[in-house]
Amino acid sequence: MRSLILKDLILNKKFLLWMGLLYFIYVAVFGSRIDNSRVTTFFVTFLCFVMPVMIFTREEKFKGTVLVCSLPATRKQIIMARYVLGWLLMLGFFVLATVAILAVPGSKLGPENLLNARTLIFALVLMALYFAILMPLLVRFGMVGFFVFLISMQVLGFVTLALASQSALKLNIRSSIAAIKNAFISLNSNLGAPAYYALLIVVMIALNLASFACSVSIFKRKDF
Amino acid sequence: MANVLEIKNLCKNYGDFALKDVSFALPQGYIMGLVGPNGAGKTTIIKLLLKLINKDGGEVRVFGRDNIMDEVAIKSRIGFVHDTPYFYEQLSLKNVKATVAPFYRDWDDGLFYRLLREFNLPAKKLFRTLSRGMKMKFALAVALSHHADFIILDEPTSGLDPVFRRELLAKLSALIQDEKKSVLFSTHLTSDLERIADYITFINRGEIVFSAAKDEILEKWAVVKGGNDLLNEDSRSFFKGIRKREFGFEALTSDAVEARRRFPKSAVIEKASLEDIMFYLTRGANHA
Repeated sequence: MRSLILKDLILNKKFLLWMGLLYFIYVAVFGSRIDNSRVTTFFVTFLCFVMPVMIFTREEKFKGTVLVCSLPATRKQIIMARYVLGWLLMLGFFVLATVAILAVPGSKLGPENLLNARTLIFALVLMALYFAILMPLLVRFGMVGFFVFLISMQVLGFVTLALASQSALKLNIRSSIAAIKNAFISLNSNLGAPAYYALLIVVMIALNLASFACSVSIFKRKDF
Repeated sequence: MANVLEIKNLCKNYGDFALKDVSFALPQGYIMGLVGPNGAGKTTIIKLLLKLINKDGGEVRVFGRDNIMDEVAIKSRIGFVHDTPYFYEQLSLKNVKATVAPFYRDWDDGLFYRLLREFNLPAKKLFRTLSRGMKMKFALAVALSHHADFIILDEPTSGLDPVFRRELLAKLSALIQDEKKSVLFSTHLTSDLERIADYITFINRGEIVFSAAKDEILEKWAVVKGGNDLLNEDSRSFFKGIRKREFGFEALTSDAVEARRRFPKSAVIEKASLEDIMFYLTRGANHA
């Protein structure tokens, strides 16, 4: 697996350096203007999650999959390397983005807003969700999978808004969202913060493992 | 003698094309030519060997081991050259090497750079700037640099100039001199195989027509040339393919001894080249 990760790092060395610089400047300029830590986390985690997507679709662009599958590595190892590298990149860029926001003089958010357990766990949960849902789509459809994901998100938002505008359904949707929120709040208060966070992490790990199993199964069936 | 490769009843169905019950074996220390017209199934067999595509049935054993169960161990000892070299276009040759070398325990950097010099390939040159011939040379350098015991080449000589074709064939011949290394070499250029192959496996429309030692094939198969009066129902069924002309016919037989017995003086019987065999078996019958 080390060889597979090394291969991707060599292949994307320049790309990662340029994107790292670009991310740093972009997040520093725009992220520092947001005064809500939750919105900032949404913004930053989405940018972080796009990075592994770009790396993996570059492999597809360069038709590198045939080469990789011809080398001494199983398909399971290839997917495992993608998951590990994906997480390393997301975490690396998350640290970079957080440093960028905090380093800008006059940033509206300080370390107390961004470097607390609640915000960090929230960021991890978001990245885990994005990644777990998207990876099987990427493995199956490549770049098209990413667009399917983005379009599905937009359609979901559109459908939700459309349903919410119907007076008959309005109450139900709002109450459903409120119910989910209350369930999390109740879980948090009953378990206590440390156990609640640990539970969230365990659930996200389980979700990523399920996503990994699904991606391996899809990749094993592919012909090149 | 141990077989480096054993394929039994291998099947793959694409809908519009199917590989049907393909079986053959390659003994260790020899070169086998996998020959057939374009679209016969040569690349499909090689892709199945390397597990680039999934089989629908059958068994592939390399070094006596199942190619699915022992994939990594087997691939560590295989050097491959695809018909289109799929290396990363934007990297220099040195960096392509850096992406591939860590996968092989026996990678030999000294040998790699020696081969680059031998093939006149500058290590700092970008892969995308190479000509097709140079890309093939580079793929061969990579395939040979980890002391692979089994080299698989898919149409390596098509589109190459005659000088490098000869160099490549000489390299492959030299490679098997230690009697440990083996080569499977797919091509539709039969002249290449006549130069270096020890065994020939002929495939057409997804089916194996024959798989045997080259000398045995060239001894058994013959082209018979004679007047049209020799053609009757019995002789037609004896031939594998017939090309009929106004003043006579040319036909292929897989039994040269029987042909000499049947037509002792009335026909000219010549040794068939691999090209003759391929021509008559794939198109010749249509001319009958």
